[in-house]
Amino acid sequence: MSNGRFILLACLVGVALVGASTFVTNEYYVFAAYFVLQYVVLATAWNILGGYVGYVNFGTTAFLAIGLYSAAALNKWLDLPIPVLIPIAGVLCGAVGLAMGYLTIRLRGVYFTIATLALSVVVQTFITNWDYVGGSRGIYIMRPTDAPVFGSYVAYLFFLMTVLAVASVIVARVIERSTFGFGLAAIRDDETAAAASGVPVLRLKLVAAAISGALMGMAGAPLPFYLTYVEPTSSFSLAYTVNSVAMPLVGGTTSWLGPVIGAVLLGTMQQAMTVLISSSVNLLVVGVLLVIFVIAAPNGILGLIRSLGGKKVDPETNPLAAMLVTEKRSSP
Amino acid sequence: MTTEASPAVANDLILDARGITKRFGGFVALNNVDLAVRPGERLGLIGPNGSGKSTLTNCLCGALKTDGGSISFAGRAIDSLSSYQRARLGLGRSFQLPRPFHSLSLLDNLRIPLVYAVNARGGTHLTEPQIRARSTELLGEFGLGGKLHRLPGDLTQVEMRKLELARAMATDPTLLVSDEALAGLSHSEVDEILALLLALNKRGVAVIFIEHIMRAVMAFSERLVVLVAGEKIADGAPKDVIADERVIGAYLGQ
Repeated sequence: MSNGRFILLACLVGVALVGASTFVTNEYYVFAAYFVLQYVVLATAWNILGGYVGYVNFGTTAFLAIGLYSAAALNKWLDLPIPVLIPIAGVLCGAVGLAMGYLTIRLRGVYFTIATLALSVVVQTFITNWDYVGGSRGIYIMRPTDAPVFGSYVAYLFFLMTVLAVASVIVARVIERSTFGFGLAAIRDDETAAAASGVPVLRLKLVAAAISGALMGMAGAPLPFYLTYVEPTSSFSLAYTVNSVAMPLVGGTTSWLGPVIGAVLLGTMQQAMTVLISSSVNLLVVGVLLVIFVIAAPNGILGLIRSLGGKKVDPETNPLAAMLVTEKRSSP
Repeated sequence: MTTEASPAVANDLILDARGITKRFGGFVALNNVDLAVRPGERLGLIGPNGSGKSTLTNCLCGALKTDGGSISFAGRAIDSLSSYQRARLGLGRSFQLPRPFHSLSLLDNLRIPLVYAVNARGGTHLTEPQIRARSTELLGEFGLGGKLHRLPGDLTQVEMRKLELARAMATDPTLLVSDEALAGLSHSEVDEILALLLALNKRGVAVIFIEHIMRAVMAFSERLVVLVAGEKIADGAPKDVIADERVIGAYLGQ
């Protein structure tokens, strides 16, 4: 499928989602769907650095919280609308991603991961001590009662998050098929060999880190308006980090589809469990699932489908199956 | 015995490395090593295990920073250039243990250097169909034409070596540093790879041939350099070098 057709298809899915949401009378379901879509963005963003390049980032909360708090602070100061806050958060978090990358991306494996974890702690300490946004007390965000075009504000937020989710999936898919994406795959497989083949390893890694950070930050910008009250402890919840790592791993990290499958599956399951059982069981189940997948299906659901489906799928006659079963990016 | 490149011919050299020194902590891996290669030359580089051959390769190709000396390639100082920039200039290398891109098909393994080295070099710009044609052609030359869409994991040991060489050749180098391309191969496989290297050289690619298999080294090399404990102890015509008593001493023990 060409990029153009994919973009069209992704946009149609987005329109369908927003359209469907207008028929839902119980607002809770729209809230829940927002939560799932937010994880589509976070998981997709994480996967650009974690899956495509193989750098495991445990700093999701740092980027999400920078997006969240920059939106909260700018809203308090200048009363800017969300569509303006989103790109600002993106630029800010892209810069943080670039800086983090520059300082840490020469580290490999677990050392890089620890450095990203440290970033979360640094940002959390900073925000906890930032009085303007309430410090550890937190800050209330006044949600306007009516929203542009959409009747309810929740519907408006859902629309924005759908746009972000569609955009991030498009970004991931375009990267995957691009020269840049092939360079990232080469780096993931072998950095030294990639450099010997002319791949500017450091530069590509930095660009990936910046894109990944920017998308995470943009996901955070509408969040204060969704929650209406934010404080550091819940903003830096371990759940964001664990989920954004677990979702791509469960879905499959080598394709854009993996994080989407993981986010929809785990995100929906967590929402259901929050309602049906208890909100604290969520992470336990995610943890158990992660362990099961790492042991039984290290290449995620996509990897599982590929190994079951074999390699004999003709992309001309069956493009969807070929997309699922394509051997191009499967790990050995 | 040792033939130093005189300043008059220095400009004719494709590679001119002088006084290369590399230390790992207190251990001197390379001590003041000079290495000159003429365009299209077949240079054998031998030495016992741990003598610094691979370290020298890494220093030349930019994977390691040197602690002393200077390297110029095609008349240009490359000391401050990183690996990928040297590859783009035409300094290719193949690794001792094949390091293919495991998640990419054979075609895409070659696509990486074609896009990132050849196209990034300036001048020619290969289009998508040209990239595909060129990688198909190269894989065919290396006897991998039937496995274009396979993953490297499906290859045999000797095929993996061929892929390693094909990928190095896809950078379109003027100098190829081949680091033990024959290690662990059978007698007939050695001949097969050797023939491929000779064919590459016929097209004008200079080759630094690092090898332990003396039969292959003697068959391939026009000139032989011997490295022992990080120092160059001999440099000259192969038959003279292997008759040198210091070389014999180094290999057989004094």
